[in-house]
Amino acid sequence: MSEEQVVKYTGEPAKVKEVNGAWVIDFPRAFTHHHTYGKLTPYFKGLTEGKLMATKCTNPKCNISKGNGEMWLPPRADCPDCYAAMEWIELKQPIVGTIYSYTEVKRGGTGVEIEVPYYQIDIKFENCCTIPKGYLCDSRDEPKIGAKVTPVFRTENPSHTSLDISWKSL
Amino acid sequence: MIKFGPGNLRVPKWTRPVYMVSAGMTDFRKKYPEKKLEELVLEAVKMCVEDPKLKKSAQEVRDMINFACYGEFADHFQDQLLCEAKVHDYLGLDPLFNVGIKTGGATGGSAILMGSSIVASGQANCCLVAGWERMDEVDTWTGNFYISTAACKDFETRLARIYASYYAPMARRFQQVYNLDEKVRAAVAVKNRGYACSSPFAQQPGKHTIEEVLEGPVVCDPLRMLECCAMSVGSAAVILCDEETAFKLSDNPVKVYIAGGSHTLRVSDRRDMEIPLLPNEDEHTYEKLYKDIKSSDGRWPGFESFLAARFAAYLTYQMAGIENPIEELDLVELHDAFTISDIQTYGDIGLTRYGEEPSYITSGDAYYGGKCPANLSGGLIGTMHAVGATGIFSAIEVMWQLQNRYDEFHGADEMWKKFGKTKPTDWKSLQVENAKKGLWVSHAGVGSHVTVGVLEKGW
Ligand SMILES: [Zn+2]
Repeated sequence: MSEEQVVKYTGEPAKVKEVNGAWVIDFPRAFTHHHTYGKLTPYFKGLTEGKLMATKCTNPKCNISKGNGEMWLPPRADCPDCYAAMEWIELKQPIVGTIYSYTEVKRGGTGVEIEVPYYQIDIKFENCCTIPKGYLCDSRDEPKIGAKVTPVFRTENPSHTSLDISWKSL
Repeated sequence: MIKFGPGNLRVPKWTRPVYMVSAGMTDFRKKYPEKKLEELVLEAVKMCVEDPKLKKSAQEVRDMINFACYGEFADHFQDQLLCEAKVHDYLGLDPLFNVGIKTGGATGGSAILMGSSIVASGQANCCLVAGWERMDEVDTWTGNFYISTAACKDFETRLARIYASYYAPMARRFQQVYNLDEKVRAAVAVKNRGYACSSPFAQQPGKHTIEEVLEGPVVCDPLRMLECCAMSVGSAAVILCDEETAFKLSDNPVKVYIAGGSHTLRVSDRRDMEIPLLPNEDEHTYEKLYKDIKSSDGRWPGFESFLAARFAAYLTYQMAGIENPIEELDLVELHDAFTISDIQTYGDIGLTRYGEEPSYITSGDAYYGGKCPANLSGGLIGTMHAVGATGIFSAIEVMWQLQNRYDEFHGADEMWKKFGKTKPTDWKSLQVENAKKGLWVSHAGVGSHVTVGVLEKGW
C-alpha cells in the first residue's frame, strides 16, 4: 500500500469475477427493519394467546356495513367504505373455516420460514367478507376445496408473525 | 370499493389525441453482465431515435423530446434509488423533467399511460417512455423473495416468498370452478414459447409439447416450471407525440388509447360484487354464471377474475369506441407472467364471456392465423419479463404489427446478429396481415394494477 494512503479502507474487499469482459463485484446486503404492526397489534398478539381476532364496521352511517358489517380477516383498523374505526371481535371457538383454494409449495424463496413442501390454503368463513391465506400444520394432510379446517396457534415459542396460526383438517 | 358512484365510472377524455411513433428494445436475458443498466436503456432509446423510417435524424428527434417517463418495478433489484436520474443523465436528457413510475408488473403500461396523459394534456409534445429491469444482481431464489415482497408483507409474503404461490391457488380454483383442462394452460405455454422462436429479442424460445409442460417440475401445484416467466434483464422504449409532432416524425404513427384499474394487493380482500359490463354484455349475460358461482360457494371476481383488468377494459373500450373486442381487434399482447393469469384475463377484457375463457385457446382464435392472435411476440413466458420494460415491450410488438414491420424487426439477419444470435433456418413470419387495431395488457401483482391499451393505425 502506498504511504500516501493515510485514510484507511475499513471495508471488506469486494469479491470480483470477470464475465465476458465485464467485472462483476459482490455487494452483500443484511439489514434489519423495525416494522410496526400498528393498530393491528391485537391480531398478532392474539395469535400468541390462542385467539383469532377480526374487525368489523359498526358505523350505522356506513354505505356498505349499515352498522353491522361482515368480519375482516386479515383485519383492518379502519373501514375502507366509511373510514370509521372498526370494532375488534374475537372469533368464537371452535373456529371452523372452509378451504376455498390451495397450493402445494414445493420450494419457497430465500428466507422462507416454513419447511417445504407444505400446503398453503385460502380459508372462507361465515359472515366474513374476505378469504385469508394460511397453511396446513401437517403436510401429510392433503387439502380439498370445501373441506373444513380449524386453527392451531403457536402459543409456545411464537414467531410474532402471521405464521403463528396454521390450520388442521376437521 | 364494491359499489361505484357516477364519478368513479367517468371515461377518460383527453384534450388531444396521442400517437406512438417509434420504438426500441434490447434483447432480454436472464443475466446480462456485459452491460450496465443505463447502457441497456441507452441501447433501447438509441434504436428508438435512430428508427430509419422516421422522417427526422436521430439528433433532430432528440431535439424534439420535452419530457420523459421511466418505468422501473423494484428498487430492490436495481439496488439504486433514483435510478431514473442516473438513466436520464446517461441519456443526455437533462434538464428536461422526468418522472419514475412504479406499479409492479403493470409499470410499463402505467408509464405509457402517464406519458400519454402528459402529451394529451399539452404538458409535452414529444415524450420518451422507457422501462427497464435488472433482475440478475441476486440469485433466482432471492429474486423470488424480492418479488414476493409485492405480496402483503404482514399476511402473505411469509407464506412462501415465491410469487407463483399466489397464482397457484387461483389456478386451482379456476380449474375446479370453470372446468379448465390443464392441457389448455399447457397449450398457452407451448404457444408463446413457440412464437418466441421467431423473435431475436426472446429469452426463452422453445419448441415444447403439452406433455412436456405437464410432466415438468411443479413450482407451486398445479403450476409447472414451463408455465412461469423467468427473471429477466433488458429495456424497452417508445416515443409518444401529439398529432402534429407525430406526423412530422412519421408517416405511420399509431393512435394510443389507454386506461387503468386497480384492486386489492391481497386476493383475500376481494369482496363479492357485481360484474361491471362491457359494451357487448348486458344484465342477462351472466345470469347462469352468477348461479354457478353461488353453487360453488364462490364470488366475483373471487380467485378467477381480475376487477382491475375488467375496469381498465371498460374504460379503454369506451375511449377507443370498441364494442366487440374479439371481432374488432386484430391481435392482442397479454400479460402471461403465468399461463393462468393469461387465461383469467380473456374474460376480463371480453375476448370471451366469463366462464368460457378456455374457448379462446381451444377455438384457435388465439393462434397465428386465428381470429385474434395473442402474444405473437412470445409474451412474458417466451420472450421477456424485465418487469419495468414489459408493458412497453408488449405495446411495441403491437405497434410493429400495425405498421407491418414484424419481419423488419424479427426477421432481419442483422437483428439476430446484433444480439449475438443466428436466425433459425426455419424462421417463420408472424406478421398479421392488414392489422388495424391491437390491444395490450400490462398487469401487476395478483391483479393489483392493470392497464389496457389499444393501438390503432393512425394513418
Ligand atoms: Zn364502514
